[in-house]
Amino acid sequence: MSRQMGDSHRRFLQAMMGRGITDEQGALRLYQHCCETHKTQCAPDKLDDFIDTINSKLQPMFMQIRKGMSEDNGQQYYALVNMAETEITRMTSDYADNELELFRKTMDLIVSSENGKASSTEILNSTDSMTSKKLKKSETEHLLNRLVNDKWLCEKHGEYTLSTRCIIEMEPYIRAMYQDQVKVCHICHNIAFQCQICENPTCGIKIHNPCVARYFKGRTEPHCPACDDFWPHEIPEVRRPHTKSRR
Amino acid sequence: TSQVQRGLEKVTSAQVDQKTAEVVQYFLVKDQKKIPVRRAELVKNVVKEYRNIYPEILKRAARIFDQVFGLKLVEIDNRNHMYILVNNLETTDSASPNEWLTNPKMGLLFVILSVIFMKGGVVRENLIWNTLKKLRVDQGEKHEEFGDVRRVVTDEFVRQRYLEYLRIPHTEPLEHEFRWGQRADKEVSKAKILEFMGQLHEQEPQSWTQQYRDAYSLSQGAQATTSSLR
Amino acid sequence: GKEKASQLFSEGSAFDSATFAEHLPSQFVFPNTLPGQMGSRLLELSFMGLNRLEDEEDEQNRGSGGYLPRDAWHRLARRVQCCFKTAPSFHYMMGSFYAEPPPPKPRIE
Ligand SMILES: [Zn+2]
Ligand SMILES: [Zn+2]
Repeated sequence: MSRQMGDSHRRFLQAMMGRGITDEQGALRLYQHCCETHKTQCAPDKLDDFIDTINSKLQPMFMQIRKGMSEDNGQQYYALVNMAETEITRMTSDYADNELELFRKTMDLIVSSENGKASSTEILNSTDSMTSKKLKKSETEHLLNRLVNDKWLCEKHGEYTLSTRCIIEMEPYIRAMYQDQVKVCHICHNIAFQCQICENPTCGIKIHNPCVARYFKGRTEPHCPACDDFWPHEIPEVRRPHTKSRR
Repeated sequence: TSQVQRGLEKVTSAQVDQKTAEVVQYFLVKDQKKIPVRRAELVKNVVKEYRNIYPEILKRAARIFDQVFGLKLVEIDNRNHMYILVNNLETTDSASPNEWLTNPKMGLLFVILSVIFMKGGVVRENLIWNTLKKLRVDQGEKHEEFGDVRRVVTDEFVRQRYLEYLRIPHTEPLEHEFRWGQRADKEVSKAKILEFMGQLHEQEPQSWTQQYRDAYSLSQGAQATTSSLR
Repeated sequence: GKEKASQLFSEGSAFDSATFAEHLPSQFVFPNTLPGQMGSRLLELSFMGLNRLEDEEDEQNRGSGGYLPRDAWHRLARRVQCCFKTAPSFHYMMGSFYAEPPPPKPRIE
């Protein structure tokens, strides 16, 4: 499946380095732009092959362009991620050690929550138990803003969730570190934070909100796929990808 | 060299590839803050016991940067053996707006580099501070976007090798002059700055004769060509 | 006073950094504007700049830096990107810290 890389691949990779993450439509537009710039053929159904070529060359550096679903809108996203933890990767300096400690505490809160969210109050309180240099309130707020800008967290109404980029990159880490604690979607089998839970105490399966929308679409009486109990939660609408017209 | 050849015979291809990949990862980390990498630190922190085949590892790393990333590994100081990464692909005008995360500091840097270039390659620091002041960037005040402007310009840009900030001897009080740094020489196109100036002042770039000659001199190499898409 | 260097440049146009600084704010424009359109629109685009101090519309655009829009420098950076051959940098979260299991949490049944 892997061919040689050309300038169109390199340009795509450079753009992914700059953006970190892009949605499926954005990836297609970028792919078209890169191919047009370097006068190579492109076809929408060849995007994944194109990315596979890049990935085969990135693999020795433990880098990959990975695909994942947004828990918010159910769309597919592509993220350029690092997959190794080494002496060298620990040298990255975007965040200080104590800032990373607080980020890990925020992840702890989100993983152990039922709704996949952590409030700013909870996060601020968790600075009390920091083992590295404690962050002040203003520093914590500044850090949270940076984490949102850098697309590691999302914020809505004072509550923080893990971004799609974070979930895609940190998924192996989260599975390994949180093991039984982390929720898994019964439908797509990926880790789940913002999801609906079956209320049958002997069942308790979890389904992502967008996976609920797709699975129960059109059904008048939704039943749990595992235990057949009535599914009591509101079924969200399936969200269509927003396609922009080409300029 | 024969030392490298002998060294290569003692290691497996996989070992060399792995060390090469680590060097690539190391450069990518250091490039986050645009700090040049010295050969000495590369050998000490990454290459380690493979130091006898260092030239081969560096050559392979450069090839990966070129073939996989479209980047060029460039030596900016052959005495101290310092390296940086620059882009090997041309920027395209038609790139979508969010293609790149724009760093406002590049705007600030552009202003400084342009003035230095248009003024012949070296300026006294006061000219820069006065120019910036007209753009509401005051080295004495905390700037909303840049914070401690003096630190960004005389420390950060200098450590990144975008600028040189040198004492002018026998000045009282002490004055400095600004020049382009070694990174700017490799990364910034004088020809494109001149084009920009032409549009801004509604003049032909050729009207600045000396700067035009400087921008299109042989030493400018690839920077002078406006489109060289492979 | 005059810089020593400028004495070498007696032929060709002079470059005045003060004039440069006056014209520059017109370049703090929306990133979608193509470079080719710059010339004729220089004057129209000066709404970004220092020569419309009295305009009330600019009120909300004024940051603590004076009369430039808050994202003026982002816009200029975007506009002059073509002059730079800067490598994009790669940022990540995974692998940036030691992977340690979190302290066990009491499960709420
Ligand atoms: Zn799911
Ligand atoms: Zn059930």
